[in-house]
Amino acid sequence: MAPSLSPNTQAILLLTAPLMVGHAPSSPDLLNLGEYNRLARHLRELGRQPADFLTSDAGELFRVCRPVMEEGRLRRLVGRGFLLSQVVERWESRAIWVMSRADTAYPRRLKGRLREDAPPLLYGCGDIRLLDSGGLAVVGPRHPDEALMEYTMAVGKLTARSGKTLVSGGAKGVDQAAMRGALEAGGNVIAVLGESLEKSAMNRDHRNAIMGGRLLLISPQDPCAGFTVGNAMQRNKLIYTLADAALVVSSDVNKGGTWAGAVEQLDKLRLVPVYVRSTGEPSKGLDVLREKGALPWPNPQSSDEFDALFSATMPITTPTATQGNLSLFSDELSSVL
Amino acid sequence: MTYSSEKSLELLKLGSGFPGARFRDGQEEAIRHIVEGRGRLLVVQKTGWGKSFVYFIAARLLREGGNGPALLISPLLSLMRNQITAARRMGVRAATINSDNPDEWSDVEEKFGKNEIDILLISPERLANERFRTQVLARIAGQISLLVVDEAHCISDWGHDFRPHYRLLERIIRSLPPNLRLLATTATANNRVLADLATVLGPRLEVSRGDLNRSSLSLQTVSLPSQAERLAWLAEQLGTLQGHGIIYTLTVRDAEQVAGWLKSRGLVVEAYTGQTGPGREELEEALLHNRVKALVATTALGMGYDKPDLAFVIHYQSPGSVVAYYQQAGRAGRALDAAYGVLLSGEEETNITDWFITSAFPSRREVAAVLEALEKEPDGLSVPEIMARVNVSKGRIEKTMALLSLESPAPMAKQGHKWQLTAAKLSEGFWERAERLTALRRTEQEQMQAYVRLPFGEHMGFLVRALDGDPSSVTPPPLAPLPTSVDEALVREAVAYLCRDGLPFEPRKKWPDGGMPRYGVKGFIPQGQLAQPGRALSILGDAGWGGAVGRGRSLDLHFSDELVGACAKMIGEWNPQTFPTWVTCIPSLRHPDLVPDFARRLADLLGLPFHVVLTKTDHRPEQKSMANSTQQARNIDGSLAFCAQRLPRRGPLFLVDDLVDSRWTFTAAAWLLRSHGSGEVWPVALAQAGRD
Repeated sequence: MAPSLSPNTQAILLLTAPLMVGHAPSSPDLLNLGEYNRLARHLRELGRQPADFLTSDAGELFRVCRPVMEEGRLRRLVGRGFLLSQVVERWESRAIWVMSRADTAYPRRLKGRLREDAPPLLYGCGDIRLLDSGGLAVVGPRHPDEALMEYTMAVGKLTARSGKTLVSGGAKGVDQAAMRGALEAGGNVIAVLGESLEKSAMNRDHRNAIMGGRLLLISPQDPCAGFTVGNAMQRNKLIYTLADAALVVSSDVNKGGTWAGAVEQLDKLRLVPVYVRSTGEPSKGLDVLREKGALPWPNPQSSDEFDALFSATMPITTPTATQGNLSLFSDELSSVL
Repeated sequence: MTYSSEKSLELLKLGSGFPGARFRDGQEEAIRHIVEGRGRLLVVQKTGWGKSFVYFIAARLLREGGNGPALLISPLLSLMRNQITAARRMGVRAATINSDNPDEWSDVEEKFGKNEIDILLISPERLANERFRTQVLARIAGQISLLVVDEAHCISDWGHDFRPHYRLLERIIRSLPPNLRLLATTATANNRVLADLATVLGPRLEVSRGDLNRSSLSLQTVSLPSQAERLAWLAEQLGTLQGHGIIYTLTVRDAEQVAGWLKSRGLVVEAYTGQTGPGREELEEALLHNRVKALVATTALGMGYDKPDLAFVIHYQSPGSVVAYYQQAGRAGRALDAAYGVLLSGEEETNITDWFITSAFPSRREVAAVLEALEKEPDGLSVPEIMARVNVSKGRIEKTMALLSLESPAPMAKQGHKWQLTAAKLSEGFWERAERLTALRRTEQEQMQAYVRLPFGEHMGFLVRALDGDPSSVTPPPLAPLPTSVDEALVREAVAYLCRDGLPFEPRKKWPDGGMPRYGVKGFIPQGQLAQPGRALSILGDAGWGGAVGRGRSLDLHFSDELVGACAKMIGEWNPQTFPTWVTCIPSLRHPDLVPDFARRLADLLGLPFHVVLTKTDHRPEQKSMANSTQQARNIDGSLAFCAQRLPRRGPLFLVDDLVDSRWTFTAAAWLLRSHGSGEVWPVALAQAGRD
């Protein structure tokens, strides 16, 4: 199941996406998230939407957007239509789809929880129905030891056996061990990639699971984009947001993506209960996360015990962001373009 | 942007070279529509109406308004040179990137990067080329302001000329945002094709459509079953026909044969095919300026070639559909009061069009074999690597890859130079379309046969009705029919001509990928162990000697003395130097005496000694059951051996076999002989296997 390309998504791609084919430099005019949000708010106030830039009478719209965005820049961006057709064709032929915040298929939990921080575009390969299935996020380092790998695989298996989706970052090490455990036990997996979706989509190890509807690869980055620290951070946010609870298997202190992502949850976003491993080799990072409010992983053995993890509440709550209240946003949801 | 009527007309005058030029019906409306960005436009107008003025003038006006360049996709770019010249007169900087001009690519790319090109012309195949898309087009794609799809009927599954690469174009169009200017043009589109185009190009498509009748054309059909009769007819009629024209054949070999025969009768003609190479431009010019009576051409000389005073178009065989025929014949008489469109119909055309129909799609077996090979290799395979794993010909493998990768989603995609499976299955829709298209081609073939049977005077009406045009506009033919009889003496000469030719073939210079493990050889074959260029007397089953060879191999199990004589005659005319001093042959376990018996008789007639020095050590499947060159090479590997105590002679020799196909047998045998100290090895075969 893949979404079809809507005119709004076309427009948002033109405005914000690098549209990468080969190694050609991307347009210097691209709108960053803040700029795009500013434009989207302006459009909303005008009662318009991004797709209106693509109509034959768009001239007036460009003019009324001048207060928030230079007209020449907007025109150059939406003039990239042929390039758009090139990349879309390339993605489609590799079974990669793309959707935007303006699409109804865009995952509600992303929009509801992240609001304007939700990535304007989401690229993917696999069945989109997995996107709103929630589940357990498992995060950890790229180079864990043997024991940690086995531990993580076992968590993946348990997740699958409990009928929950496993959400991971798709990177080497812990991410892939968790995915393997879940997939081998016949479970569903969402891998949130920070780089090279195209390569992963073509990876043979993933093929059967994707075709069987059990593995969904998604990424907020262009399918051809490589690794950057910023991309990795944006990905962390999505991993937690797409899940209903998270387990940190191991972490450094004050450095690394695992640390940064977990701290962001505990200190700021507080979207889901965050657990840390409570057995085996002690980890300084996990201890500090505990101090910041992370819960000890209760080592569930049955599906029932596993289910209970998801209803836990975090010891400290902030009024600005809480989980489980998606419906409160539903009116506003459609207004985030 | 705003459209200027004056500027537009000024450009037309410059481009046409006539100060009094006026727009034809619909031309200016089309230009205005594009320039003002009023949505997608489909122009259906017969060739010669001036579609190129529409896009060149529009491109120029867009540039003047500060917009980016235009991109034009056309199947036959080499034929657009006249148009590019006209474009230059209007100050439109046009350039092309195609397989004929690789040395100009970097220059064109650089100019494009510097914004010095107004319209870039490329083929759909180039557009599908991974390297071109990622390295060249990606850098400029963001600036393109107008996409022109020429010969848009090729997009339609229902078109007579559906081209697989237009499926890619269809997908590109589907994902184009509505603000990108799109112009599609075609000369021929019946209602069904138009409906198809409307679904691809979008619901708010504007259509500009003209009429189809060509009142200056005298159409006629003549049935002459044998090739010799048609050659005789051509030689006779070409001597008396006024003006200059085109003779269309279905295959490259026919084009060369017909041109060779007509030249031997003193007529000034040249063959023009997809294999003509860089000389094509010169030949087009020669016809344009009446320096040749006619070009004998395949459809490589087709869409886009514009000679307004073309006096005749003669078909040596029926094309596969009336639409294709209308397009080709319709090149005649555009600016004349009267011109001929004569269709000669012959016995072999059904076989040829059958072949085109049945080979258009890979079989389920071929697809399964290729997918299975890819399934086993997570890192993908190159085409040569696939050839080593599956018994499917190179051409068929490439066709399979091309067609499957054009599906959406595609079951495979090219990453770098290797093919890899994607996370998608080949949909059953692929086979449904293949079956539907095959059935459609059959219907077209039948319609063409009905056309052949029409009496004089009814042809134009039939064509216009078949194309959903208005038959009331059809007028009677302006010329009297040409004679339908042929001169018997000329027919006999044509028969002799068809039997005369030997076909040269080149030796293989390199062992297959992975080498020949049993012989322990790989890479390039050393100079001293190569075969010399060889000769084949005929093509299996073809007019000339091909029929006799076929009978000898499968019915009589004996090659007639007539064939021995013909072979000796061919060798006499060929006269390779240094002339061989003895004869040997390729051994066979299946028919141990067939070829040796023939080679011995040939040696006798040539006055040379015959010696058996090679033996077949291993019973292997017939070479013709091996579908590609790598498989054929492996099938030979280790199966031939040198069996004499020592070479009976050291001098050069003729190496005789009945059939040459992949040339691996000759290559391996020559290598064996030469590494045992023989002189040069000159291969001689009775026939070349048929077309691939």
